[in-house]
Amino acid sequence: MRLTVDHAKCQGHARCYATSPELFPIDDEGYSAIDAVDVPAGQEELARKGAAGCPERAITVVP
Amino acid sequence: MECPVEPYTFMAERRPALAHWQAMDELQSRARPMLRTDEAQGYWVATDAEAILEGLQNPEVFSSAAIVPTEPNPPVALLPIMLDPPQHTKWRKVLGSYFSPGRVEKQAEAQRAFARELIEDFRAKGECDFYADFAEVFPTTIFLQILGLPIEHLPRFLDWERKILHATEETDPGRVQAVTAMMEVVGYFAGVIAEKRADPSLLADDIVSHALEWQIDGEKPGDQDLLSCMLLLFMAGLDTVAAQLSYAFHHLARHPADRAPLVADPSIAPDMVEEFLRVHPIVQLARKATRDVELHGCPVAAGDMVAFPLGMAGRDPNVYPDPTEFRLGREVTRHISFGAGPHRCLGSHLARQELTIVLQEWHALIPDYEISDESRVLEHAGGVYSIEELPLRWNV
Repeated sequence: MRLTVDHAKCQGHARCYATSPELFPIDDEGYSAIDAVDVPAGQEELARKGAAGCPERAITVVP
Repeated sequence: MECPVEPYTFMAERRPALAHWQAMDELQSRARPMLRTDEAQGYWVATDAEAILEGLQNPEVFSSAAIVPTEPNPPVALLPIMLDPPQHTKWRKVLGSYFSPGRVEKQAEAQRAFARELIEDFRAKGECDFYADFAEVFPTTIFLQILGLPIEHLPRFLDWERKILHATEETDPGRVQAVTAMMEVVGYFAGVIAEKRADPSLLADDIVSHALEWQIDGEKPGDQDLLSCMLLLFMAGLDTVAAQLSYAFHHLARHPADRAPLVADPSIAPDMVEEFLRVHPIVQLARKATRDVELHGCPVAAGDMVAFPLGMAGRDPNVYPDPTEFRLGREVTRHISFGAGPHRCLGSHLARQELTIVLQEWHALIPDYEISDESRVLEHAGGVYSIEELPLRWNV
């Protein structure tokens, strides 16, 4: 599973970070610090939850 | 598709708590995704969560040059909330660091201690007006600290706050008092800035001190822009957390079963905060169309105002089953109660932290309480919905 973040849409709500700081690191101002990452095995559910919780719908999960 | 004309109003009289929310829910169920209202100059209202998100994420078409639906040509421009990208982005970059998750978290323990202190002030009495004795004082004091202003000025700020943010046509016809108070706030900040410039020993690690050195486009912003920004921080930061707290405690006072899990396990407070934010999105936004555009079948013309009530987004039954119910453990929690798009509430991280701290500290000290007089619990609508008085009592 892979996560991608659309930085044009990210507005720094930092809700993904609240779901999992390890999976969704943020920069000093609270915006997502990742472009695309492979989701470590066992963390798929957390990845889906973090993506679903983005108010701007900036995070896409590719199975 | 047609745009139904409905009696949606931005300004409204005081009514018993939750009455304005019910009116909003009814309009949404009758007219979606858009309606037209004749209030003031007439404007459009997006009534559906999808349409509201779409509008707020599109600042090129829906500009922040005007953000009150009944005021297409605002007399004052507040910075940076009434700027559009790319100008907005530059201010936002400068302000963002003061309200970042990391910066906010460093203040948590001091805020927690202050919350406890405030509650202890009245706990032995067995009663308080939750709004005046706590909800309004807590965020306003934190605001003074972040801006580096003396705590002794709290009464002055509370007075301005009431005059500017809680004025209605009944209490302040023509908003004469409100405008006077706003000029006093600007005058106050002009004085603080002048003092700090004249005496560098007054400079400290706070927003007003730093503002003297801010760079926008490689230049220091003019005094008028700085003052407009300070006025915005005042307008946005003072009564919003108070309003959100008023609804949370109104609910918890009337639903002991929803307090019990929090008393048993304070770590659920952040999840409760999200659900309170979703069920009562207190801020109702609007934008001004920059060009003719068809929005969900409605012919929006350049210069028209379009309201994007966040209340309707959080309470949309198409997104949340039984949306008017406070319910922990919902599957979807991606509310946009802090807005969406580039103007996402700058203070959202601070607000979440303050709300969490209050839920935890209050229930550690006063786990059981009730409303002592429901007839006094009135709310106002407008740009920020809020309960104005919440008399609580508990056993001591």
